[in-house]
Amino acid sequence: MAAELNEIIHQPVRLRIMAALVTLEPANEVDFTYLRELLDVTDGNLGAHLRKLEDAGYIAVNKTFVERKPRTYVAVTAEGRKVFQEHVLALQAILKRK
Amino acid sequence: MNISPNEAEESLAAIQQVVQKTRRSIADSGYSTMLIITGIVWLIGYLGTQFLTGPIVVAIWVSVSLLGGALATILGIRRGKRLRNPATSITTRRIGLFWLLLALFCAALIAVAWPMDGKTLTIFIILFILLGQMAMGLIFSFRTVWWVLPISALALVGYFFVPAYFYLWMSLLGGGTMIALGSYIHYRW
Repeated sequence: MAAELNEIIHQPVRLRIMAALVTLEPANEVDFTYLRELLDVTDGNLGAHLRKLEDAGYIAVNKTFVERKPRTYVAVTAEGRKVFQEHVLALQAILKRK
Repeated sequence: MNISPNEAEESLAAIQQVVQKTRRSIADSGYSTMLIITGIVWLIGYLGTQFLTGPIVVAIWVSVSLLGGALATILGIRRGKRLRNPATSITTRRIGLFWLLLALFCAALIAVAWPMDGKTLTIFIILFILLGQMAMGLIFSFRTVWWVLPISALALVGYFFVPAYFYLWMSLLGGGTMIALGSYIHYRW
């Protein structure tokens, strides 16, 4: 069965978020602020797209306290990793047909 | 969902760009600065050892090592806040134990080989530290510690071929190389 494009992931900011998260080693999670700086997006924009990805089950958001300060860590789930790979394969297939 | 080949190409390029930027950011977070800090410690410490004598040399080494250690700790904490792995606390304890055991083995070897002159003592300690760095790199990320090999080679060349200027050699070539490599990784990698 051919890999299919994923509408949730295809949105440019979400695509970049997923690309950054799948680059991390499995089980690693990244700080929200670091991710925002890495992708050069605003707090609100990143937060909204993370919610969409979390609702789809592609990422896990872990809100915690570090030295009594609230921190948000984000990690890709196994499902997220799988659908992202499928999305990349689908993009490559479109290019091959060009 | 259908998209044009051009759009697919743009998406793949965007993915590639983010993957590369993330890898660089993770690899560089702290390592280049660590390299520069260690280089500065070596540069100042060995220059002092070459040209000065007496307690001032010990004072220089202790000061620059403490300063370097404090900066390295701050960097480590900063990196830990950016990126973390819930399973790393056990690994961190094992890393600490590894360095402690390595220091004990180094001390044991020095005791066995004693008496030795200052240069031999220095090369022993340097090689043990570099061995530890290499072990960390082989386990965690070889990309970030490949610089250990040229530094080890330079230290041995200095020890065997320019013993009269060994400390100056270690200062300029060892410390200087680390500063140059750290700067290169930070600005060009």
